[in-house]
Amino acid sequence: MAIHIFGIRHHGPGSARSLARALDALKPDAVLVEGPPDADPVIPLLGCREMQPPVALLVYVPDTPRLAAYYPFAAFSPEWQAIDYSLASGAAVRFMDLPQAHQLAVRKLAEEEAAKQEAAPPAPGNGKPPEAPAPAELRGDPLALLAQAAGYSDGERWWEHMVEQRRDSAELFDAILEMMTALRTELGFEPENPFEAMREAHMRKTIRAAQKDGFERIAVVCGAWHAPALVEAAWPAAKADNAVLKGAPKIKVETTWVPWTHGRLSRASGYGAGIESPGWYHHLFTVEDQIVVRWMARVAHLLREEDLDASAAQVIDAVRLADALAALRDRPLPGLDELNEATQAVMCFGNPLPMRLIYEKLIVGEALGAVPDATPKVPLQRDLEAQQRSLRMKPDASQSEQQLDLRTPMHLARSHLLHRLGLLGIPWGKRKRVEGSKQGTFWEWWDLQWHPEFAVRVIEANMWGNTVFDAASAYAQDAANRAGALPELTGLLDKALLADLPDAASHVMQRVKDQAALSTDTGHLMDALPPLANILRYGNVRKTDAAMVEEIVDGLVARVCIGLPGACASLDDDAAEAMFKRLVTFHQAVTTLQNEDYTKEWRRTLTGMMDQSGLHGLVAGRATRLLMDAGAIDAGEAARRMGLALARAADPPQAAAWVEGFLRGSGLILLHDDDLWAVLDDWITGITDETFQVLLPLLRRTFSTFPPAERRQMGERVRRGKPAARATRAVPRSGRATRFEGERADKVLGVLGLLLGVGEDDED
Amino acid sequence: MTTSPPTQETILRAHAEHQFAEELAALAEVDTRTRPPNWKLSPWATAKYLLGGKLDNGFEVSPKYIGRQRLVEIAIATLATDRALLLLGVPGTAKTWMSEHLAAAISGDSTLLIQGTAGTSEEAIRYGWNYAFLLSKGPSMEALVPSPLMNAMAQGKLARVEELTRMPAEVQDTLITVLSEKVLPIPELGAEVQAQKGFNVIATANDRDKGVNDLSSALKRRFNTVVLPLPDTADEEVDIVQRRVADLGRALELPAEAPALDEVRRVVTIFRELRGGVTEDGKTKVKSPSSTLSTAEAISVVSSGLALAAHFGSGRLTARDLAAGIAGAIVKDPVQDKVVWLEYLETVVKDREGWQDIYQACMAVSG
Repeated sequence: MAIHIFGIRHHGPGSARSLARALDALKPDAVLVEGPPDADPVIPLLGCREMQPPVALLVYVPDTPRLAAYYPFAAFSPEWQAIDYSLASGAAVRFMDLPQAHQLAVRKLAEEEAAKQEAAPPAPGNGKPPEAPAPAELRGDPLALLAQAAGYSDGERWWEHMVEQRRDSAELFDAILEMMTALRTELGFEPENPFEAMREAHMRKTIRAAQKDGFERIAVVCGAWHAPALVEAAWPAAKADNAVLKGAPKIKVETTWVPWTHGRLSRASGYGAGIESPGWYHHLFTVEDQIVVRWMARVAHLLREEDLDASAAQVIDAVRLADALAALRDRPLPGLDELNEATQAVMCFGNPLPMRLIYEKLIVGEALGAVPDATPKVPLQRDLEAQQRSLRMKPDASQSEQQLDLRTPMHLARSHLLHRLGLLGIPWGKRKRVEGSKQGTFWEWWDLQWHPEFAVRVIEANMWGNTVFDAASAYAQDAANRAGALPELTGLLDKALLADLPDAASHVMQRVKDQAALSTDTGHLMDALPPLANILRYGNVRKTDAAMVEEIVDGLVARVCIGLPGACASLDDDAAEAMFKRLVTFHQAVTTLQNEDYTKEWRRTLTGMMDQSGLHGLVAGRATRLLMDAGAIDAGEAARRMGLALARAADPPQAAAWVEGFLRGSGLILLHDDDLWAVLDDWITGITDETFQVLLPLLRRTFSTFPPAERRQMGERVRRGKPAARATRAVPRSGRATRFEGERADKVLGVLGLLLGVGEDDED
Repeated sequence: MTTSPPTQETILRAHAEHQFAEELAALAEVDTRTRPPNWKLSPWATAKYLLGGKLDNGFEVSPKYIGRQRLVEIAIATLATDRALLLLGVPGTAKTWMSEHLAAAISGDSTLLIQGTAGTSEEAIRYGWNYAFLLSKGPSMEALVPSPLMNAMAQGKLARVEELTRMPAEVQDTLITVLSEKVLPIPELGAEVQAQKGFNVIATANDRDKGVNDLSSALKRRFNTVVLPLPDTADEEVDIVQRRVADLGRALELPAEAPALDEVRRVVTIFRELRGGVTEDGKTKVKSPSSTLSTAEAISVVSSGLALAAHFGSGRLTARDLAAGIAGAIVKDPVQDKVVWLEYLETVVKDREGWQDIYQACMAVSG
């Protein structure tokens, strides 16, 4: 009844290879693997042909899927090799770690405790629940301590070098066991952390059970750190272990497999810290000989695919440099460090950019795993179903309409759900615009239709999180990291706010802030302001976020004010058209913000632009108009400006554009705003007949854009002449003006005064 | 980074192999590792010479290059593989310094040097003729004037090419045959010089300055490139700037006080933030201007500010004395860089505590 302990490093390719060889030699009839026993029923799925690593074992609490643990496996994970061996050889295989039923229960209790504490005093700060004791990594990497003693900078490299050269695999594991025993004794480690003690007690308990079941040769595969605690000679009494485990809280959990990626292997998971270089490990594990040469050949191949120079001669030189570096550093074989340095010096001419490509494509890698169809349901699916039930929204393949009044909590929750699903690429509902009475901002109209393929997307989306909320939040954050341009990011911000994802929203804001600093496109910067201004003015963001929005807006306004004159230089007609729209919306946003500093700065910029030479007329005209409306320049000044722009020296199309920029969309305003009317009137009456004839076509171009009814009213107003108040000041002119019949007009004033509620005294 | 060693009594600046002769001898004594042919020290001992440290017999080797150990190792490993070494970087990153010390340690001779300029000719790289000799005796090896490169080949030593990218492109390409065939043909005599073992080339180049000629890909492929970075930490850079400014101030005999550490730190901070594209607290991103903003430029900004303070100001370095210099160093392109600089002033400097004086001084000269 021999027990063989194999201390491994999780995801260590060297360990995996040595372990496979050792198991082949030992031929155990039972294999016990460090992993959650809750998952024992789904182990056989691993034998399915459709199962392709990397995959992850997912253990979750069915009614709160947020509580979950992932155990990712790659082909080069020793655990994967151990299970694979057992399934192929027919040996019994069991997981032996403390069941997640207990671990998750502990976490849940801790969270509830935290929630309670938070509820009692007024919430202190951001109040995130303290993490439940996570496995192993709390102490840091024990191997790192050994690596340091051996003069290496980190444990992974040291392990790589120490394991790579071994061929006598059995002795390797004896050595590891001895080493870890020494380390644990040296550190004086006794599992004072009750959680750790429970885990090791449960491992021993599982081994005892296997012994009782009559297995002859038991192979125990566990993290190297735990190895010394599992040696039979060092066992405490079975009673002691049972006492440790007694009374552990328990919760119902479910397990399933989900597809994983190499990229996600590099993140923290149920095993603790992730690994830095899954692609490189995969290479180490799958390549039998000439590791260095084959790696360099792959690098060269990748560079060539990307149209970068990489000749065979360079591969040779890079390999030689890597070897020389390893020799200089007294290493038996070049590691990833040496290979990267050689690649950069020889193949990339010292340029770090291609190295990023190599990092993404080779060192991390893009492998995507797959799971068989028989795999149990994923938690996201359950969460969605639960929400559909509680919100009384049945998925239906036929189309139906929903009107949501966001003032009622139920409808608000529905809206959030639909927005979140939309973010995840599951467009169950489509927003639509409706004409009619129910148009307020608190109304949302949706067309709902459930397509069968959405079920697949839900499974895919599970990799982002176990609840719709978590998944949408994680997805939005990831999308923000990938998004390059500002408009994309502000759009995302809008969606994140609609879907009520505060974490995602603050992350997106951070990205907006970074991107705004780097963006050289003033247009993009201008587009970013209006949504942010709305958030600041009307939005219901958290306090911390509001401060951040303010900071972003600060930066945006400053940057636009500095960059705008440059961005407006030498625009063609199309670009000027776009800039015109931006100018208008940006101005509105600045007005909305009601911040004195912004207004001052913005006016200064516009004033500067009025004098800028080479500015497109459309933009210059609108800048003048905006300033006039804001009261920064008076009507007389505006008229002077108009005169300058339409002077005969000016290029006619530009002059026309100026008038258009000044007046566009203002037909009605022109009719009712005396000042604006006066500007135009002063100017027109001031020019000679000859000039008027030259300019007439240009003016016509602008005026023809106004609706016929407005034009008619304008004509009537012209015929009536100047408003009374101004008539007295007007320069006397021959003809039309004298035909104004003041007496008849005065008769109206009395009634008008009553209507408007002003005394007759004001009439003059 | 570099430290200026004290000079010998009469010579203004001694060669590295003379100045550090004692250290080289001590290293050779304890160096038992294999040396590549014609190397005076093993690669391991060379690394020790450059990086400094204590030898087993208690002898203390001073560090020549303070920076990343890995870069030094790559450089030495490159020379050991008979590939040529190209040290790349912006000015003031100790490229020349490193190349001199590598040559001193490996060949015991750092004088086989070709300085690249726009006027460097092919003769400077290959060989020239002693025309008096040529006319009287006809072409012969005696009439030949060998270049430092040719000497290095014949003696199996390291040749140094400084500022490779400043040479005209066609002159640069003269190196290709030497680097790939390790042979320098002399067609006039029907002869050639074959490189002895131990020969190699260390070139330094600057890829971001204006007025440089890019290397042809053919030449690039024959080099291993090591990029020497700017100082890693602000403290390191402040230290370098302050030390160099003090040296310069003494040389120019400026009557001003030595610059206050705070002012130096602010200049270095501005340069680092603009160069790195992110503020030192890592919270805000900023655009980078087109200029390189090397440590060397920070040094010149502070010393010119010092001169301003001494001759026109109060004798104490203030933000006003620095502002013009800073703006001048940053705004090299009147349109692009100006936007970058104003943005930086408005979004970063304006709200920074205690920086109001420098904000106002800079706005006064730039705004």
